[in-house]
Formats: sequence, structure tokens, C-alpha cells
Amino acid sequence: MNCEEARSLFVDYWSDALTGGASEEFSLHLEACQQCRSEAESLKGLWTSLSAIPEEDPGPRTRTRFHDLLRSWRQAESVRRGWFPLAAHPAFQAVAAALILTLGIGAGYLLRSQEGARGASSGQSEIAQLRAEVSNMRQLVALSLLQQQNASDRLRGVSYAYRVEHDDPQVVDALLTTVSLDSNVNVRLAAVDALSNVSSPAARLGLEQTLDRQTSPLVQIAILDQLVQWRDRAARAVVESLVSDRDADPEVRQHAQWALREIQ
Amino acid sequence: MLAVRGGDLAALATLFERHHRALFNYFLHISGSRDHGEDLVQDVFFRILKYRRSFDPDQPFRPWMYRIARSAHADLASKRRLETALGEREFSVTSRVDEGLRQQQEISLLQRALARLPAEKREILVLSRFQNLKHDEIASMLGCEVGAVKVRVYRAVRALGQIYMELSGERAS
Repeated sequence: MNCEEARSLFVDYWSDALTGGASEEFSLHLEACQQCRSEAESLKGLWTSLSAIPEEDPGPRTRTRFHDLLRSWRQAESVRRGWFPLAAHPAFQAVAAALILTLGIGAGYLLRSQEGARGASSGQSEIAQLRAEVSNMRQLVALSLLQQQNASDRLRGVSYAYRVEHDDPQVVDALLTTVSLDSNVNVRLAAVDALSNVSSPAARLGLEQTLDRQTSPLVQIAILDQLVQWRDRAARAVVESLVSDRDADPEVRQHAQWALREIQ
Repeated sequence: MLAVRGGDLAALATLFERHHRALFNYFLHISGSRDHGEDLVQDVFFRILKYRRSFDPDQPFRPWMYRIARSAHADLASKRRLETALGEREFSVTSRVDEGLRQQQEISLLQRALARLPAEKREILVLSRFQNLKHDEIASMLGCEVGAVKVRVYRAVRALGQIYMELSGERAS
């Protein structure tokens, strides 16, 4: 065992978690290496003394606020219970698709009839109304699918998000949440791609903020590419921080260096 | 959490009782503010409700919860520039008035040293030492190897030791 390997076991040593062969090898190294022995012992004292810092109790309002939150959330759920669970059901999605198709046909009919006897302004108004209804339906389907347990459903949700009006705040928020928290890398990558159609500052800021919290190098590289595509100069600080992060993936750091040059 | 994900929202109260104190102390260590800590605990449980369906039942709960906690803190920090407030950390002293003066000074020095640690070192030390998360749980949260977590904890403790020595020197002089 060399010094570097021994240091990676210091925390186990301080926590009395070293066992078996590793423990023996570690002890042998400490006996032979005065520097590691001295450092391990002095830092063990510090590690132990940290336990003297007492835990604090949050104020009583924390519990009150939590129960208020839970109560209001459950009330809202019970109000929606009559119809909203349908949104997660395949039959609802089929009906929604049929409705979208019908509305589309209706919109086409209205376009044709616009040239007919009816006045142009009244036709345009109805078309605008139909478009808004289609957009709302797509938004509902996209948001519903993005909440699903199955990754392929969530991917379909991202694909629906492409068809929603690009700067819809609810959809942008749902996509950013997906980029930050989704457990599936492919879904996160698809969400980054879907955000490329969005021009709102919230999308740019959201992607910047999630860059250094990403656990997947692939997603980090996709975000860097997107920031470059936007020529987002405001992202320089976060990209610079990634370049100087020695714990980051080497390829990501290299890509971040390239991105930094491109957005300057 | 499986019950919450399945729609039994009342089960969240059990999770709150089990984890809110640890979460509060996590936020207190990394943000230095009791008010922010209480707000962030609330935010975490709100996000757990909102994103409950994204919880993977094959994965442990605590790393998922702390991922949400990190995200909530990062969002708040970017809005309020929390990092600048760490020098004036708010700790309750009422529970420690009867403790020896020397121990009180020691704790105060450790807290000041912790507050001066760079954010990423402070966070990993808090997760490992105060939150008692296993190193494989921290590794899954941060998306790195267990060995890398242990090395980062070692570096954080070494950096803490250096700051602690500097502060001890200042106090002695």
C-alpha cells in the first residue's frame, strides 16, 4: 500500500470502519510511514472533535408549516381526484390524441371556410381559439407524461413538449426539473434537447444552474453544447468553474474548455 | 416513500418526523442560517410531494432526498448569494450555557473553521460526518466512485485542519 492508497482509507480509519486485509495493510503502512501516521492521528483528533458540535432543533413553525403544506396539498388532490388521474391513463391519452386530431381537422375546415361566406375576422378568431385549445391539450399531455414512473413514458412526454408553444413556462419548468432530477440519462438528454427550442431566459438560467450538479458526463456535455449554441455569455462563470473542477470528468473539463472559447 | 409515491400522502408525515431534523442541520451547516434552514426543509418536502413519482423504488430514499436538498439549496443560493452569509453563522447557544467555557470556545472555533471551508469541501464533510450518510450513498448522490468520496472527505478534513490551526494561532496571538 502506498501513501495515496492509505490516505483514501483515512476516513474509514477515523470511523473504525477498517476491517480484514485492508486494515492489516493499512496498519503496516502506518508503522512504516511516519508522515502518514502523524497525519492520520492528528486529523483523527479533529474528526472526533467534530462530534462535539451539537445538533440544532428547528423552530416549532417548521412542523406547523409542513402540516399546513400537507393539508393544502391533500385538499388540492381531492379536488382534482374526480378527473385528473385520468390524465395518466392510456385511455385518456388515446382520447386526448383523438381530440387533438378532431380539433386539427376542425382547424383545417375553418381555414378552408375562411375563404367562404363567413367573415375573415370571425374565422381567424375561432382558429385562434382552436389553436389555444390544442396547445392546452398538448401541454396537459406533456406534463402528465413527464410525471410517469416509466422512463419511456417520460421520453414521450419530452417529445410532446416539443410540440407545445416553446416558451410555455410550465413546460419549461417541467423540462428543467427533468434535466435536474430524472433518474434516467436518456430522458435527461432528451429534455436538454427539447430545451434547445426555448428562448426564454429561465431555460438558459436553469440549464446553467444544473450544469455542475449533473451526475452524468454525457448530460454535462449536452448542456455545454446547448450553452455554446445559445452563445450564452452569462454562462461563462459556471463553465469556468467546471474547467477548474479537478474532480470533474476529464472529457467534460476538456469540453468545457472548448465551450469557454466558443462563448467568449 | 413507496406509500407516498403510490398516493398515500399522509405517509409523508412519517418521513418528515424521521428526517426533518437531520435535513435542517444539513442546511444549517452549509448555509449558516436558521431561517434559510427552515425554509429549505419546507422546500424539500414540497419537492418530494411534487416529484414523488420520479422516485425509483429500487434505489434508497436518503440519497434521493439529499439530491433534492442540494438542488433546493443551490437554487436558493443562486438567488440570495448565501455563501457570503456564512461568516455570521447563527447558532443557538441557549442549550450550551452550562457547558465549560473551554469546550464552548473549541466548538466555536470548529464552527468558524467549518464556515471558512470552500463550499464543496464543507458539503462533503457535512454529508459524511454529520449526516452519517454511507460513502456509497454519497457516491450515488454525487455520481462518482466510493473511493473518490473517501479521498474528498480526507482532503476536506485536511483543509479543515489547516484553517483550524490558523484560527487557533489568531486566537493565541
